[in-house]
Amino acid sequence: MSFLDFFIDPVFRAPMWGTLLMCVASSLIGTILFLQKKTLLAESLSHATYPGVVLGVALLGWFFPSQEKWAFAVVLLGALFSSYLGLKMIRFLQEKQKVSTDASLCFVLSLFFGIGVLGISGMQSILPSWNKQVQMLLFGQAATMTDLHILLYGILACCVVFFVWLMFHPLKAIVFDPDFSKSVKLPVPMLERILFWCLLVSLVLGMRSVGVVLMSGMVIAPAVAARQYTSSFSKMLWLSALFGACSGLLGNILSILGTSYLSRNGEMLTIPTGPMIILVGGCFAFYALAFAPERGLVFRKLRIRSFHRKCLEENCLKGFWKKGSLSYAGVQALLGISPFRAFFAVRRLVRKGWVIKEHKTYRLTPDGMHKAASIVRLHRLWELYLANMLKLETGKVHKTAEEMEHILTPEIEAKLTELLANPTRDPHEQPIPQRRGL
Amino acid sequence: MSPYWGVDFFEFFAVFFKRLFSLEIVHLATDEIQMIVLSCIAISCALLGPFLVLKKMAMFANSLSHTILIGIVIAFLICSQGSMFDFTHLLIGALCAALFTALCTEGLVKYFRLTEDASVGLIFTFLFASGILLVTLCMRDVHLGVESVMGNADALVLSDVRTALYLVLINGGVIFLFYRHFQLSSFDRAFAQVLGLPGNVFHFLLLFLVAITCTGAFRAVGVLLVLAFLVGPYLTARLFCHRLPRILGWSCLIGMGAVLCGVALTRHILSMYDLPLSTGGMVVCMIGVIYFLGLGVKKAMGLCPKPHQRTKVLWTPND
Repeated sequence: MSFLDFFIDPVFRAPMWGTLLMCVASSLIGTILFLQKKTLLAESLSHATYPGVVLGVALLGWFFPSQEKWAFAVVLLGALFSSYLGLKMIRFLQEKQKVSTDASLCFVLSLFFGIGVLGISGMQSILPSWNKQVQMLLFGQAATMTDLHILLYGILACCVVFFVWLMFHPLKAIVFDPDFSKSVKLPVPMLERILFWCLLVSLVLGMRSVGVVLMSGMVIAPAVAARQYTSSFSKMLWLSALFGACSGLLGNILSILGTSYLSRNGEMLTIPTGPMIILVGGCFAFYALAFAPERGLVFRKLRIRSFHRKCLEENCLKGFWKKGSLSYAGVQALLGISPFRAFFAVRRLVRKGWVIKEHKTYRLTPDGMHKAASIVRLHRLWELYLANMLKLETGKVHKTAEEMEHILTPEIEAKLTELLANPTRDPHEQPIPQRRGL
Repeated sequence: MSPYWGVDFFEFFAVFFKRLFSLEIVHLATDEIQMIVLSCIAISCALLGPFLVLKKMAMFANSLSHTILIGIVIAFLICSQGSMFDFTHLLIGALCAALFTALCTEGLVKYFRLTEDASVGLIFTFLFASGILLVTLCMRDVHLGVESVMGNADALVLSDVRTALYLVLINGGVIFLFYRHFQLSSFDRAFAQVLGLPGNVFHFLLLFLVAITCTGAFRAVGVLLVLAFLVGPYLTARLFCHRLPRILGWSCLIGMGAVLCGVALTRHILSMYDLPLSTGGMVVCMIGVIYFLGLGVKKAMGLCPKPHQRTKVLWTPND
């Protein structure tokens, strides 16, 4: 079966499209929550949906036992209702009772889930056939969705996406600067209320594919991944929708393949979709955290390392320039570094052709001489600039110049030369080497 | 035949106390096992909860209690003998997983520049998802995943009583020995460091206690309901008192009260309506009910909290 077949095949298309839309909706809202640093609210509210689900299914099973195909709609309504109650209770605890945020989130989460557990244990004996409807929402089971479900879920998910698209600018203002948005007469309370409803809707939709327990992961992971690649709000929304959609689709496909692999011996063993989607999304997030070009840990560390290396090499060159010739031990003593680092620093300089070996010691080549002279020139120019232009004491300028000599670019050097009228002596009366080609 | 068969809510207590005083209780009935284990969990949680909430680590406890699942599963797969709920497996696996979670979460904040809430959420959902997947793949069992979330107090046996008692002893002992240190480091970590207390040691000691408590509670109430045991009694106790020792005492009592009522009510409903309910869920509901009762009582009595009033220095170096 090819990849496209998953979208067209009458059995698989509903779960695929359903998961896609849900994941996009929840990752969009998740991005906004992530920027507001409120992601754990999603964890709490997604668990708070559970008693409503149980109640809805129980009521339907009790009064309309033949209408099982409408269970999904009742589940949606019940879940929305109880997560709204959960939100109200969190607000109440925080504002009226002065309970700290994380304690109130934690209390609401476990209290509501406890009520749900109580309900489902009751349902197990009264309405055993309806029990499955509720159980599968714990870890998600996308495979049971039909085209009818997609119609409702899709419309709701599109509403969330449409709201984010329509209200992009006001949302941006609210996320980054609530005070400013109040001052330009944006209806902040109203927008926040709609935003919370969108959050509730996207959590409730996600129950079917990701499940109640892991829903908060779907809210967080795409946003974390997207943040690593961009610093613009609109790009971040696009990216996180993309990551969300990919993890939803891949997770769903993996779960289908895994289920068919496990059931090859005739056993009935289904892999829930939720953990699969979360694992894929988590992998995206961890990959982005480590390997994103700008903010990823690996490249950040590499950049820092290569800068340190460059500094060490330049200091080494300066040492050779001053002393003429040096052994490893000489370099080590001069720069106060370990013998190991001194050895590799000199080896790198040899490889670059700046230093050459001569009677067990090393000395600069003509190329190295130019390089070292230009570093010393930068150092002394900067000292002169600090002393003459900024009127700093001559004794205090050396330390800053030690750092600045690695950072100054040729343009700054040209400007400094022009500003100081191409000087020949630094504040300590040392000669300033002239630039090559001058 | 259980001596509690067919009794209602009040008869339950009558039978319980009669058995308690006539020493028939040496042969524990199922309800009594549930009651003792859940009470032990309630007390251990009530001893830790206040410190967790004061240090704003309640959601972090949520994360820890989730991730011990993967530790347990891996420990079980490595040993691959005995029951999954053998306590040594549980303990080693859970402690490793808890340590791993704590280090990862702090590492994400420190090295990857992620906000704290996002790193907590990311790590625990990922690890919990891996745990569920491992359970499904390696043990070919779908129910274990569900059970780890919901708990199953009916499956408790006599050996669980012993582990639960150990749990209370460890928690009570550590909190009793290092009460001052915990109090100081949870109210004012910076000051504790100025006084030369090793803040990190007590932080990890608290994490260790939370991890073993969640492990102990894993089987009886599952990974989510244990949070209500941690936070609920503290919030209720805080409505009426503002001193940590009293809060600790009251939250233990409230937790135990909720457990007694919960177990009795479950039995009552089973006897009267022939409806078996989850004991863990019932106890958590009782914790909620007690909290709201407390709110009501406070309102009725007109007790106003005076959070900004402080009459006396709580701790001096000479103390």
